[in-house]
Amino acid sequence: MTDHEMLIREAIAAEAARAVHPGAVLAELEKKRARRRPMALIAAGGLTAVAAAVALVVPLTMGRGTPPSPDAAAQSSAAVSPTAQNVLVFGLDEDGYTDSIALTRFGGDGSISAVSIPRDTWIETPGGTVKANSVYRGAGSGVEGSKALVTAVEAMAGVRIDHYAAVDMTAFTAVNDAVGGVEVCLRNATEDDYSGADFPAGRQVLTSDQALAFVRQRHGLPQGDLDRVVRQQAFLHAAAAKALAAPDTLPALVGVVREHVRVDEGWDVLALARGLRPDAPVRTATIPVGEQTSTERGTGLSVDPAAVRAFVGEFLVDAPAGGAPGGDGCVA
Amino acid sequence: MPDGYEQFVADRLDRLLRYATAMTCDRYLAQDIVQEVLLRAQRRWHRIGALDAPYLYVKRMVTNEYLSWWRRRAAREVTSSHSALAEVSPPVDDPAVRHAERDAMRARIAVLPRKQRAALVLRYYEDSTDAEIAAILGCGEGTVRSHISRALKTLRANQNTNTSSAAEVLR
Repeated sequence: MTDHEMLIREAIAAEAARAVHPGAVLAELEKKRARRRPMALIAAGGLTAVAAAVALVVPLTMGRGTPPSPDAAAQSSAAVSPTAQNVLVFGLDEDGYTDSIALTRFGGDGSISAVSIPRDTWIETPGGTVKANSVYRGAGSGVEGSKALVTAVEAMAGVRIDHYAAVDMTAFTAVNDAVGGVEVCLRNATEDDYSGADFPAGRQVLTSDQALAFVRQRHGLPQGDLDRVVRQQAFLHAAAAKALAAPDTLPALVGVVREHVRVDEGWDVLALARGLRPDAPVRTATIPVGEQTSTERGTGLSVDPAAVRAFVGEFLVDAPAGGAPGGDGCVA
Repeated sequence: MPDGYEQFVADRLDRLLRYATAMTCDRYLAQDIVQEVLLRAQRRWHRIGALDAPYLYVKRMVTNEYLSWWRRRAAREVTSSHSALAEVSPPVDDPAVRHAERDAMRARIAVLPRKQRAALVLRYYEDSTDAEIAAILGCGEGTVRSHISRALKTLRANQNTNTSSAAEVLR
């Protein structure tokens, strides 16, 4: 190396030494990262799919512990058509707000219909008019909070609710981890900053972070929320398939269910699960909402109770069963 | 499961910042670029992390970000950031003359065409091979050699004409 080159080398090293301290960058990265992580926003269909998966996975996992008996098989085929049930499924964020609420009907024919109630909907409670996402928390969370939410939604929608399931939003990640990564298949590569989704086309095994992005992505998909629901169904089907193929993952899955889902005490989830079809179609919709209105409790969406009741009554009927998802199992 | 991205940042952030600072001759621009690139890299880490050389890939992202940033906004900062360059230089033990020569060289490097400077920094700071430089800059090895030889020629020519000004710094 010539002296000229030595001097250049030194000059560049001196320039490089002027770099800012990495700590400044780390702090900035952490801040931006936290801001980018979206609030828990899983649509009605997703929640319902979680509930359905729970309902599917719980009996499957429990059945593994004991040898299958002819009686049980006879029983399960006899119980194929339980009566329809209305279940309130809601997703809890880490602060105890219910940012997703789905009034779900498990039809006697195996179908599932879910009506989503936007989190900002104004809803009547004994304590006054509040936003839907704070009823649970305002009533003390847990069982009391769940019952209060059920009562408020019953009054607004004009239907009787038989059971409830509270789902912790990290359930998707936990399910993915429990089975060692769910394999999914995408028709096209896709990327979206809102959900953090960034997937190549084709078959792939999801990491923990990707699992949530996969079931959350709505932007950048041809049919938005509808595609998201299909994603969630595909995810859960694949998770169930993987769990069944690898029985040693089942204890972990049971743990996930215990940890992330709370149902009311009187609910025979097993009976419901026996009536579900693995390819059960999920229909979803959102209640009709009106203008944004502001009160001292914030800005929310007003609703016309008569319109909501009419809509819910019409939507929550047993739907004709649909077909299984496309042949190769790939989704948008 | 250990997070590969976190580990990468812990291992490489300092070096990336130094590389970007040497290339841009602007430590705050370098900071912005590295931050932006790392945020983007994080979102696609499952792909980058699976590569043979994630650092090389991220370095390429940083380089492209600078070169395209430069394309989007006209050449600015060089003069302003280098007018203040002499007085913010870290104190060193070098003999005063060597120090002055080095600072004069920094100023000359700072006004090189951006691709020539990127190639120069990759060779003399990152110790990259011509093939690696070619991959990072997205050009052929012949072009790399041409960037570097032109840069060396310019710097040598300027060094000769600037000898007096380097001496003036000492007065």
